Amino acid sequence: MSHEIFMPALSSTMTEGKIVEWLKNPGDKVERGESVLVVESDKADMDVESFQDGYLAAVLMPAGSTAPVGETIGLIVENEDEIASVQEQNKGNQPEVSSSDQLELVSNKTEEKPEVQSEIVEKQEKEVVLMSEKAAPSFSSDQINAATSNVSSRVIASPRAKKLASQMGVDLAKVHGSGPHGRIQADDILKANGQPVSIPWIGEGGSPASVPGANLGVESKPETSGNSFGNPGETVQFNTLQKAVNKNMESSLDVPCFRVGYSINTDKLDNFYKKVKQNGVTMTALLVKAVAKTLKKHPQVNSSFSENGISYPENINIAVAVAMEDGGLITPVLKEPCNTDLFELSREWKDLVKRSRSKQLEPDEYSTGTFTLSNLGMFGVDRFDAILPPGTGAILAIASSKPTVVANSDGSISVKKIMQVNLTADHRVIYGADGASFLKDLASLIEDEPETLVS
Amino acid sequence: MVNRTAIIKQPDKISFFNDVYELQKEHQEALILDNSKPDLIWIGEHQLCYTLGRGSSYENILFPLNDNKYEVFKIDRGGEVTCHMPGQLVTYLVLDLKNFNKDLNWYLRKIEKIIIKILGSFNIDCHLKPGYTGVWIGDKKIASIGIGCKRWITLNGFSINFDCELENFNKIIPCGIENCLMANMTDYNKNLTKRTVKRIVKKIIQEEFNFDFVSK
Repeated sequence: MSHEIFMPALSSTMTEGKIVEWLKNPGDKVERGESVLVVESDKADMDVESFQDGYLAAVLMPAGSTAPVGETIGLIVENEDEIASVQEQNKGNQPEVSSSDQLELVSNKTEEKPEVQSEIVEKQEKEVVLMSEKAAPSFSSDQINAATSNVSSRVIASPRAKKLASQMGVDLAKVHGSGPHGRIQADDILKANGQPVSIPWIGEGGSPASVPGANLGVESKPETSGNSFGNPGETVQFNTLQKAVNKNMESSLDVPCFRVGYSINTDKLDNFYKKVKQNGVTMTALLVKAVAKTLKKHPQVNSSFSENGISYPENINIAVAVAMEDGGLITPVLKEPCNTDLFELSREWKDLVKRSRSKQLEPDEYSTGTFTLSNLGMFGVDRFDAILPPGTGAILAIASSKPTVVANSDGSISVKKIMQVNLTADHRVIYGADGASFLKDLASLIEDEPETLVS
Repeated sequence: MVNRTAIIKQPDKISFFNDVYELQKEHQEALILDNSKPDLIWIGEHQLCYTLGRGSSYENILFPLNDNKYEVFKIDRGGEVTCHMPGQLVTYLVLDLKNFNKDLNWYLRKIEKIIIKILGSFNIDCHLKPGYTGVWIGDKKIASIGIGCKRWITLNGFSINFDCELENFNKIIPCGIENCLMANMTDYNKNLTKRTVKRIVKKIIQEEFNFDFVSK
């Protein structure tokens, strides 16, 4: 079992911290209370200690790099024999130069002038080139050759690639550039660091430094639960859960649905998530909270069709689709999220997911949803639409939040993280204008005041 | 606000940097083991020496590192290289922030406020420079800050240039800021004595942290 070391908050206003030094190397024994690394913010630095006896198995962010508060920066295992398997899983994420005194030299000057952004970027550009030269002597001979040959022909990389490289501890000299004239692009750095090219930003733990696959999300385990439940040539009977889903999906064919979509900027939400993640907050809980709060203002979107007319439920209960490893899906319900604080909601959600995997949910824990969320963001999908579950009026499909070039109303162009959401609704009870104004308010809640999602 | 007891030490003689550093480290460890122990405040002066934080770059040292003329220490604090010498008042605070505020930004800002109050007591008009922790008079730096912390127990503190040989700063890039000019308190107020300044340092720290001082 591995325990994560998080970037600590040295102050209430700190959003990211710099790793000054790892006091332990991967494989070293650590005791509870022993200092494992040093983190710096401004002129103050702090020893970060291990919370348990064990071994430092992996360093996910090298010395000299900067990580957001709450980010996983290292892993500790309890037993020595777990080191190898954790290291294997995190291979792509570990810095290649783990004792990186050189890296330390590189980026510690950049913090001095936080307000002069462009200068920092320039500085980093210079320093990254510097790094590859400096790092060379500690490499093996063929690496030296690679490094020096590249240095002599000058490393050409985009500013973002350089920034990523310095954050992730990737040596630019060893990266093959896929851009024009071999220019190194951001994607090349991600690839070199063993990460999927498009980082799924929304979705549990899908942040840059997390372990691809292993940490991808409670809702889904794409790698382990293969893409098929049978072998080629076989026909496999539906299990009970799959049959139930089939029935529900077929009944949706009798419902006249329409769809309406919205692009939501998640820059603020992502920042807020980074801050609260260390307190156990999950992205699902955040989204559920946002949707529930917006539904409160839009009871029409929480309503459903019944033979007698439009039925308005007494509560707002948000069901969230969870794929099951052995087929089918289940929709655990977070009841009355507006009355639960974000932290409690996150705990409830984790408990529901755990119990739904072991099939221990009570019927009222998966059948009382008044509105459904389906989030495939962790797979990096840019958009999809969902099928309406029976007995409810609407379901929201949430896609991945991706850096997108956006034309602003003042004519300027910028890159923002954009998440597409798509509402499927029963037109007998919910009309286009209802759905659209619901999405507009949801978007402004997420874009403008995500911090209000706390309570 | 909590009422804490702090041991205060203020030797009149020059103290070796490493001795005082060890004293601080020992006190930090003692506080980790027993948080009922008093905090520690040390006010004094050092022999000429250069110190680096754990994240400091050796590139900011402009003399050859193997030059035996200069003593260099790498210590547990944030920030870049700095210089200590006679004529510079150094204050160390080994405090348990759990009794105040578990927030290093709060602590840094508190230290800045303390320095400004100290200098203000002598009618020296100084200010902060956003992004450059420390206290400034115009474009000259008069006081530097460097803090280390372990389990919210602090180490190190701040230094104020009183009447020191500022040329010693020319052998480094102080705090990693190029062309950084330094200033002495006596440049702005000729009628100062070190003894008075030390007394005021003690008084303002006492007020700001609400300490009962004891001598051991």
